[in-house]
Parts: sequence; C-alpha cells; structure tokens
Amino acid sequence: MQITKAVITAAGRNQRTLPLQRIVDRDGSAKPVLQIIVEEALGAGVETVVLVVAPGDGPAYMAAAGPHAERLVLVEQPAPRGYGHALACAATVVGNEPFLHLVGDHLYLSNGEQGCAARLVALAVAEQCAISAVQPTRESLLPLYGAVGGRLLPGRNDTYQIERVLEKPTPTEAEQQLLVPGLRAGHYLCFFGMHVLPPTVFELLDEELRANNDGAVALSPALHQLASRERYLALANLGRRYDVGGSYGLLTAGLALALAGRDREEILAQLVELLATRKT
Amino acid sequence: MSTLTQIITSPDPAVRNHSLDAFCRGASLAELLTECAALDELRRSSPNLYERVRAAFFLYAIHRYHVPLRPGLNQRGRVPFAGYVHLLNRRFEEAIQVFLKAQAADGPSDALSSALAAAYHRAAFQTLADQVRRSVRSARGNQWMFRIGHPADQPLRVRPELFCHRGTEDTEETNNAETPRTPRLGGTYPIVREATPVRMDLSHSAWSDIFFLGMDFPEGARVLNVSIDLGVRGRDHSPRPPVEAYFRVIDQPVLRLTSIDLGASADISELAEVFDFARDYLGLLKGAVIASGIVPPGIEGSGTRLSDLLARLVGPGFGIELVSAVNGIPKGSRLAVSTTLLAALIAVCMRATGQARNLSGPLSEEERRVVAARAILGEWLAGSGGGWQDSGGVWPGMKLISGQLAAEGDPEWGVSRGRLLPGHHLLSEAEASAETRQKLQSSLVLVHGGMAQNVGPILEMVTEKYLLRSEAEWLGRQEAMQVLDDILAALAAGDIRAVGATTTRNFFGPIQTIIPAASNLYTESLIEQTRAAFGEDFWGFWMLGGMAGGGMGFIVAPERKAEAQDWLRNTMRATRNRLSAAVPFAMEPVVYDFAINERGTWAELLRGDAALLPPDYYRLTLPALLRRDPQTLSPARRAELERFADQRHSRPELAGVVQTLFDALIPRASAADPSARSLDSLLAENGFDQVQHEQIRADMRAGRIGLAQNRLPPSTTLEDVKLNEIDDASAGLPDAMRRLGAEALAAGAVAVVSLAGGVGSRWTQGAGVVKALNPFVKLAGRHRSFLDMHLAKSRRTSRMAGTALPHIITTSYLTHGPILEYVGDVGDVGDVGDVGDVGDVGAGLTTQHPHNPTAPQPSLHLSPGRAVGLRCVPMARDLRFAWEETPQQLLDVQAQKVRESLHHALIGWAQGAGEGNDYRDNLPGQCMHPVGHFYEVPNLLRNGVLRDLLAERPQLQYLLVHNIDTLGADVDPALLGLHISRGHALTFEVIPRRIEDRGGGLARVNGRLRLLEGLAMPSEEAEFQLSYYNTLTTWVHIDKLLAVFGLTRADLHDEPKVAAAIRAVAARLPTYITLKDVKKRWGHGQEDVFPVAQFEKLWGDMTALPDVACGFVVVPRQRGQQLKDLAQLDGWLRDGSAAYVEGLGEW
Repeated sequence: MQITKAVITAAGRNQRTLPLQRIVDRDGSAKPVLQIIVEEALGAGVETVVLVVAPGDGPAYMAAAGPHAERLVLVEQPAPRGYGHALACAATVVGNEPFLHLVGDHLYLSNGEQGCAARLVALAVAEQCAISAVQPTRESLLPLYGAVGGRLLPGRNDTYQIERVLEKPTPTEAEQQLLVPGLRAGHYLCFFGMHVLPPTVFELLDEELRANNDGAVALSPALHQLASRERYLALANLGRRYDVGGSYGLLTAGLALALAGRDREEILAQLVELLATRKT
Repeated sequence: MSTLTQIITSPDPAVRNHSLDAFCRGASLAELLTECAALDELRRSSPNLYERVRAAFFLYAIHRYHVPLRPGLNQRGRVPFAGYVHLLNRRFEEAIQVFLKAQAADGPSDALSSALAAAYHRAAFQTLADQVRRSVRSARGNQWMFRIGHPADQPLRVRPELFCHRGTEDTEETNNAETPRTPRLGGTYPIVREATPVRMDLSHSAWSDIFFLGMDFPEGARVLNVSIDLGVRGRDHSPRPPVEAYFRVIDQPVLRLTSIDLGASADISELAEVFDFARDYLGLLKGAVIASGIVPPGIEGSGTRLSDLLARLVGPGFGIELVSAVNGIPKGSRLAVSTTLLAALIAVCMRATGQARNLSGPLSEEERRVVAARAILGEWLAGSGGGWQDSGGVWPGMKLISGQLAAEGDPEWGVSRGRLLPGHHLLSEAEASAETRQKLQSSLVLVHGGMAQNVGPILEMVTEKYLLRSEAEWLGRQEAMQVLDDILAALAAGDIRAVGATTTRNFFGPIQTIIPAASNLYTESLIEQTRAAFGEDFWGFWMLGGMAGGGMGFIVAPERKAEAQDWLRNTMRATRNRLSAAVPFAMEPVVYDFAINERGTWAELLRGDAALLPPDYYRLTLPALLRRDPQTLSPARRAELERFADQRHSRPELAGVVQTLFDALIPRASAADPSARSLDSLLAENGFDQVQHEQIRADMRAGRIGLAQNRLPPSTTLEDVKLNEIDDASAGLPDAMRRLGAEALAAGAVAVVSLAGGVGSRWTQGAGVVKALNPFVKLAGRHRSFLDMHLAKSRRTSRMAGTALPHIITTSYLTHGPILEYVGDVGDVGDVGDVGDVGDVGAGLTTQHPHNPTAPQPSLHLSPGRAVGLRCVPMARDLRFAWEETPQQLLDVQAQKVRESLHHALIGWAQGAGEGNDYRDNLPGQCMHPVGHFYEVPNLLRNGVLRDLLAERPQLQYLLVHNIDTLGADVDPALLGLHISRGHALTFEVIPRRIEDRGGGLARVNGRLRLLEGLAMPSEEAEFQLSYYNTLTTWVHIDKLLAVFGLTRADLHDEPKVAAAIRAVAARLPTYITLKDVKKRWGHGQEDVFPVAQFEKLWGDMTALPDVACGFVVVPRQRGQQLKDLAQLDGWLRDGSAAYVEGLGEW
C-alpha cells in the first residue's frame, strides 16, 4: 500500500476564506494556512493534493498554495451538500487507491520528530488498513466533532480498533455507544481532522448520497459503515490540532506555531510584556 | 453455619426460597438470638447487596414478630436515647450498635427488640434505596450529567430548527456548532409538542415492578402494560393522549416553567431555584429539566449562573419555556399520570436538545429507554417514586415489560441479579390481534373511584414480604406470575371473558393474599353491586396500579358497555355518598372513555401560525401579561399576543379564552362566601367559646403558650416507676379479682365508653373521615371498622355477663351524624346510610346479636361533644420549634432537601397568612378542631347521657373509657376486679414501652406518680427513661370522679352547676398548643397539607391533680396497643394482634 494522493476539503460556505489567511509558520516565514496544510501532506510522501473548493474559489486557492501550486488538482463542489459530499467530489481524481485526507481549516503540531500526517501514513502502510487520527476530547466539545468508539489494540497504548463512528454525538449517545476503556471519565475519541482512507469510502459515500437525494451528507455515517466492513484503526496522541475556524482560532494557532518554532524566545518575551502591561 | 445464613447464601433456589417464619416457629429464644448474631455478621461482611439486605430483613422480622412471643423475654426494658437519635438521623448502623450493646449489657427485652426491629428495617430499605440511586446514576446515558459542573462543560445545544431561521448547512466537519446561534429577534419561535398516552396494567404480577424486586428477582418481574388515550365520559369529546409537554425558545434569559394543570408558572433566573423542588407546584418540570440534562444534576451548588448555562444551550439573551398539561385526569388515577408527564417533559427536552433524533414523530427504542431511565432519575431527584413500568406510555400499544438479568458490562453486574431498567416487548398481532384489542376496548369500563391514597406503605410491605419469603405471600407471588401467563393466553385466544375472569382471580387471590389492604370496602361493594346488576354479563374486575379505590376496570359484555358506564357512574356516586364519612375520598368518581394508543409518545413541530400553546396556557398567563405595559413585553411575547389575537376568530377554542379573561382581569365584587357563613354557624352550634379562643390566641401570639411552653421546666425531677409501685396484670391476675369483676359485670355496674370524636388525621393523613367508622380491615370474613370491633366485644361481654352492657360512644361535631346513622344500621355493616342530622342526645340504641337474637345485647348511647375550637395559622416560631428544635426524622438526602424547601415555603405561608390568625381557608370541618380528650368524660356529665343512664340503672358505678383505636381493650373482669378492690377514682392501663410508643408515659414527676404527656416532657430524652406507655384506657369510679368535680349524682340535673364544675377542673389542667396537618383539596384530586395550630387539654393530666386517687396497672401489649398509622396495619395483622381482637368479639 502506497499513499500518493491527499484530499483537502475547503468548500465550507462559511469557512472558505480561512485557508487563505496568512500566518507565521515555525520557521518564521509568513504563509497562508493552506500552504502549511499542503506541506503537511507533502511531508507524508504525497505527490498529488486534491483540493475540493466552492465554485469560483479555485484561483485564490491556487495562489495561496504558493510554491506547491503545481502539485494541486482543483475540484469544485457544485452545491453545498455537506462534508461527505465534498469528499466524494474527489473520487474521480483519487481513483481506486487509498488516500490521505485533511480538512482545510485545521493546523497540526506533531509531538514527535515527524509530522502528524507522516506518522499516520506510516502506520496505515504498516497496518495495511484505513486509519483516522483521533484525540481524547472532553464531552463538552462533542457538538463539534465526529467521535469513535472501540478498544485498544493489544500491546499498543495509542492505537484503537474502531467499532463505531457517530457524528457530533450527544453525551448520552456517546456514553452509551462510544465508551473507550482506558480513557478518563467524560472523554471520548474525537476526530483530529486527518484520515487515511481506502477507496471503499467513495462507494459508501455514493450510497449515502443516493439514499439522501438532494440532502446534505456527512462523512461519519460512511466511516461507520467502513468500520463494519473492513479493518479500521484510530491513532491517538499524534500531537495538537488547531481549528483556525473557532473563536480566536487563528490567533491560538499562530501562537502555538510560534512557540513551537524558531522565534519561541521572542514570542515569549512579547507575551510576558503583554501580561505585565495588562490593565486590570 | 447457622440455618438462616444458609437460606440466604444458598445457590439452590429451593433453599433460598425457604420461609423465615417456618424456621422461627420452632426455635427457642436462645436459638433465635444465636441466629441473629450470625445474621448480623453476614449482614456486615457479605459483599453481595441482596445477602446483606435479606439478612437485615430477617433480623427485623425476628425481632418484630418472633422474639417478643418467646416466653422468658423481659417485657420491661428501655431503649437507649442515643440509639433513637441515631435512628432519627438515619445513622442506622450506629443505632444498631447502640441497641446491640444495650442488649448485651441488660439482656434481651421487648423494648430493645422493638428498637432493633425498627433499625434493621430501615437499614434494609436504606441499603436498597442507595443501590437504586447508584444504579440510576450509573445507567449509561445518565452518568455524564453528574460530571457537568460549569456552563462551559454543557455539551447540549438547542436544535437550530427551534429558532426562527433555518439552520445553516455545514460542509465542514468542524461546523459552526460552537458559534452562538443568534435567534432572530421578533416573531414567535416554533414549539415542539409531545403528546403521551398513559399506561394501564393488566397485571403487574403482584407489584413486581418495584425496583428492588426487579433487581433481585428479574424472572418474576413482569408487567402487561397498555398505552391508552383517555377522556372523561360526559365531558370530553373523544379520548386523546392525557399528557402533553411543550418546549420552545424564548427571548429572555430565563427558564420559564408553566404547569397548566396545576395553574402555576414561574420565570426562573437562579440556578438554585431549579433545584428547589417544593417551592411551588413546578417540581415535576424542574425534575424534567434536570433529568434531561438541560440543567444537569452535577451543576447543583456550583455557584454558576443559569443565564450562562442558557447562553451555552440557546444563545446569549435567550431562554427556554417548558409547559406541561394534563387533560383533566385526576391524581391517584393509578395510570401513572405523573410519571408519564415527567417522561413526556423529558422526551420533549431531549428532542429539543438533539438527544433524540427527530423533532417530530415517535421515538426510537433506544431513545425510549433513555427517556425511561431519565424518568426514574427525575423521580428520584424530585423525591417521588414511581414503578419501573410507569413510563410504559412512552411505548406504543400493548407490551410485556420484563425484568432483565444483569450481564457482564452492566453497571448492575455483580451487585444485583437484575438490571435497573426492564426490557419492553411489544405484543405482536399473533399475541394480541387488532380484533382482540378492539374487543378489549368494547368491554372494559375504566373508572376512577374517587379514592386517592398513598401507595408507598404497600410497596414497602410487598418488598418486605418478598425478601422474607413469607409462605402464603410467596405462593401468592407464584400464582400472580401464573395469572400473567393466563392473561397472555386469553389475549392470544381473543377471549376477553377469560381476561376478566383472570384479573378478578388476581384481585381476590394473590393481590389480597400479599396485601389485604390493597382492597377496601368501597371497591368490594362496587364489585358486588355490579355483579348483582349485570349477572353473567359482568366478566370481571381489574385493579389498576398499586391499590383499589382509584383507577379500576370493570369488564362487561360489549353490548352492555354503554349501559355499564352510566350505571357505574351513578353507582359509584351513590356508594361514595354512603361511605364518604368513613372512607377517604379525594374527588367525585368519574368514568373514562379510553382507546388503546398504538403510537406511544408522539411529537409535532408547530411552526408559523400553528406555533401557539394550548388555550388554557393563555387563560393562565394572559391576565398578568395584559396588566403590564406592552413596552415591557419582549418582542416574541408581543408577536405571540398578536398571533393569538389574529387567530381567536378562526380557532373557536381560543375565543373561549377571551371570555374567561374578562372575568380574570376584572374580579367581581366578592359575594359573601357561603362556606365562611357555614363555618360561623357551625361554630355557634357546637359550643365554640369565642372568649376562650381569643384568650388562647392572644397567649399564643404573646408567646405565653406555644410548642416550647408545653414542656415542663428542665428543673423537673422525673423518675421511672418502680415495679412494686404499680399493679402488673401482664401475666394475669388472681381469680379473686376476676370473680369480683364478673359479679360487678353481672350486676350491671359497668359501662363502656369508646372515644370516637376523632377524624383520624394520622390514620388518613389529614383526609378527615370518621376514624371510628373507617372499615380498614377484613376480620371474620368482612371489612370491619374500629367501631364494629368494639361493638363485637360488647356483644360478647353482654352475653357472657348475662346482662346488657351499656356502650357509650362519645362523638364530636365531626363524627356525631355519621355515627348516629351508622349505629342505627349496625346490623348490616357495610351498608352505611347518608349522613343524617345531628340526632338527639343520648339516643338509646340496641344492636342485635348476629347469631343469637335472644342473647342480652349491649345498649348503645351516643354522647355528643360540647366543645370545639377554631384552628389558627401557626406561629412561625412554633413551626421552627417543631422542625428545627425537636429531633426530626431525617429523610433520604433528596427527600430531605424537598422537605426543607417545603418547610421554608410553609413558614412563608404562615407569615403571609398572618401568624395566629383564625384558619378559615378550608372546608369548615377542617377549620374546627376538637379540644382534647379531657373533655370527653366531662361531656358525659354535661350532656345528660350519664344522668339518664344512672336514672335507668342506678347500680351503674364503673366506666371503662378507651380510645377508639385501642382495639384490644374490653371489659376484662379481672381488671375490673382490680380496680374495684383498689378503690381508686381512676385506674389507668399502661403497657411496656416499645420504640414506636411515643407521646408520654408513666413517671414520678416531682415525687408524684402520674401520666406525663409527650408534649410536656421536659426534654426529648426524658421519655426514654420511662418504662411504661399510657394506653389511655381508664377504669372510672363514677361517684369518686363526680367528687373530684365537686358533684354528686343528684347534681347531674343541675346543668349550670355541672358546667361550672367542669370549667373549674379544666382551669387546673395545662393548655397545650399542637400542630396538626390539615389537607386542603383543590383541582382534580390535588391536595396540599398545611400545619395549623390548635389547643388541647388532655385526660392523662387528671393524674396530676393531687385530689384524684389514681392507680396504674400494666396490661399485655395486645390489650393496650393503639392503631394510629396505616403503616402499623400490616404488623398488627401479622403479629397476632388481629387474631387477639377477633377472639374478644362476637361477629
């Protein structure tokens, strides 16, 4: 199994400008969010990046990709029919091979030497199966994410066999269906916004879309189906993810990148100064 | 190893189901105590919940029913006060230790066994309740709510469809759910309406839906439960789901709770108020808000703001309105209306917050199960308690609900055998065809008989009997399980007549075997009458829920159903009218129209013009809104009012609201209240002393008398009586005494006086019926009242003495008419006539011997009371004294919270109503009060009854005076002989004290041997030093008593002299202020209980007068014990007391 393609979804009608925002990366250079995400994918050995955008957004995204523009293939989502539909739009370009999938409004900081995507792809290749990155998340944040239930693989402390996937579960559903042994009380494995998926997922999405006529389709039901059909793992503790779409999301992501990078001392000094001059 | 611990721990069901009684019957006192030690060890060491609980119940039963009967047990003993205080504070383990230590030091005694029985009994129930609570909290889907301690933790969001605008489409995994939604200002918000049928059970397999049973014996826990729509025949057009709940967003940051059925609405802005259940009538809605996770239970006491929580749920500046409506179905219907309403409210809240998939239509099975689990949680939170099947209306149609064995992974695994939540199986077409269902509807007449009683004690008794495996009851349980199978078979065969036969068999068989009190005279009279009227066409009777008298079913041939409906309505009313003085009714009986609901709970989303609440909501809320300046109304409120105004023309049900609004907005000049007039006239008729009343009221307000002032000063010396200071008849008296007494009896020198002026406020929890006439138990084959039993004893005494025994029944303004009516008809018990006019004083009546018409018969005389008082609103300081300064029974944590909140509300009520003011806000009978049993004997002097009796039989010299509830008291010749030989004016009977005997005792007070009332004890502890309890049964020497009053027989003709003499003696006795709980009924069977103040003078204080020669005699417990509380009834039936009384009478 080899992962040569990545799909980044960035067609959300109320988030379409987020990947175009500029932010200072760890190396001190200012670049658009999109470029950082594309670099994360490329760092995992991907050759082609499929970018799903809203109609008419292509040129702006091509420009934001900077030096990596030639690695991009643009696909438009003609109508806002949900996240699952956006991903399905990439099916033709991806073809019949597994792919890496990232969302266009998240930035990642790995807690290891390798990037998050690279580690995820490495495990997928080693295990020869679908895999989603997950993060133990407090139940109060359940309205934001898809979540999985399952159990630890024998001998591993960060890899889970996924048994069930629910999109934005209520805490009641989560407690009844998604309890994972070993996690702290009130914590669930929520998606990290990063997956390695087999082409089967396009078939499943297609079924969902046909069943839903013109309605919106999420990705989680297809992933739930996937878990019942083939081996599907979850990898926890890759690092931290930053949702640039949330309140102060861009600011927090910028700070996190800065504190993890070359200018850490300088930023810390500025933060201390800010704190010291803060009026009460 | 002990035999009993083997029974408990054996893996073999045959051994485990062995009865405790069977073992104990042959065991000696020493053997029993050895077994007790082993059981107590097991209770403390076993890791298994049910082994511990069953051991505790065994210990209770041995100390309650077996140890006291063993020869050699010390009858006299003391209960350590420290242990009693531990009991009150629910520290049961410590209480048990104190009692066991006392038992080791002083030896076993009747008193200590009573204390140990009480402690083990309550420890066992506490253990069970704790386990249910743990299971409720740990049920998957409920746990998270206990972890939420801050608004930021709240994971729920109100669904976007409930705002004016449609939700935005999300295309990204991380959509904007976290961004606060901004509901559009102006316009009304959509409403989710949940309509839920109630459930009726064809059989509950002998109350097998009690949690404890289902969790220990899931195999036997099965209920056949039908969801139904209801309408009241003659009032409603057609049956509909009786319960509705509404949810909507509002544009104010408050939680607005409205109960249309209880006429209450509140805007809650403080978090603490949500958890204040008894503050108003919105406890159920609050329970639903909490149990649905909107205000999660974990956030209680967090100090956070409700508005912050609402901002998280709905958006800043917005709130939630929750409305409940019950379509005129009365409380106590035995159809689980309140649990169903709670479930409907929880369901609508779950839908609105995305915890159920759909905003409209039915719920999925998983969702229904969560609703049921949450309803259990809500009931526990609000301090009420429903059965495990009670939310059955959430499910559609007919279903079999069964206990489930706990499996690995369940929170109950390893703790109890069964799960908390049962499984629901919907009956298929093959199991109950559509035709069968139709046939059932065509044959069943569903009624509410009008009685609303507390089922709680019954459920405790059932649990206890199950755990003890009492033989007859255990067989009854097996039979009840068979009954359910038989009903299922009859349904499968479509044979409704067989269903009727089986439910009747169930009622007269296992149900009454296990709990005789589940039936009553009213119900059985209705069944008899129906059988007589419909003959072969009456197919069967069907008791709904926990006990009869409320919700009931009569199955008749379909062609006669309509006739039976009308006939039953009239018959129930007539029977109720006949029995209303004797049996507590809460409301007029009603007949329902019903239909099986095949949808279960169902929701609709009301949008646009349809987004209005039911008309009664506007009747309740509009008057207050219309009085306000329109500018102060929120935009959504204004929009709603506009919509209401627009639609009142097109929707006739809204037009009616406008008419009633006018009445509400402009109150008419209040006409003189007819009931107030009747109170004044009643007071005047019954010898109300206005001057004395005002004096007492002034004294009470000034603090000269009051609860605290009832007590003797702490400097009082109080000693227990020594054995040689009094007579002891507990082991019998010499034959000489018996002969002396028998001679006096034969000579006609004795009369019996039964004090029957009371309305059994404890017995019926304030319902106010004539206690003497309450037919509470079946003895010798039929329901008997207290009075019946006393009359049966007098019949026997008359026959044995060979002379007519005069039997005087003292009455009060509350009881005279009904008793007069009753004794006139006493030959035919159960056929009580209407309440008649207050009859002539001293009507001499006779009662015929049932089997021997020529035997001498007792002659009956009524002695009407000549004094009443008017109740007062209590002083806040007396309420505080009663609740805060005297040891109070601490309740279960949640119930205690509810009670404290209620106390706070009641103190507010007293202050608002004016402390010490006359209490007039109730039925006249509930505002007046009898003024204490001191007056009962003097009344005989004053009203001429004694004068006439002495004229008729001058040889009369002795009276036996006893309370109506002292059922074992009879004219025992030996005791009479003792009284004659001792020559006292008064001889009082006392019994060795048990822990439940509170309220006074025999003591040497400052050197004088006398009876001391509980109210007057210098401290709570003092009573526990006294070995003997006052039964109030008194032997009176007439001439010597008259001398105390300064009178002779001849003076009885001089009314003014008699009145002055009584006033003079009364003035020498203390006046006690007491609090009485009085029920106020309103609405559809709703009732409130208010503590009101009244004064009393007590007979026992006669012993404190130095010029009255008093003697005291210890009598056996069965003779002296009193039945004060319905909860005592089961023990009374089981410990031989009932058989003792039965043996004293001729029936």
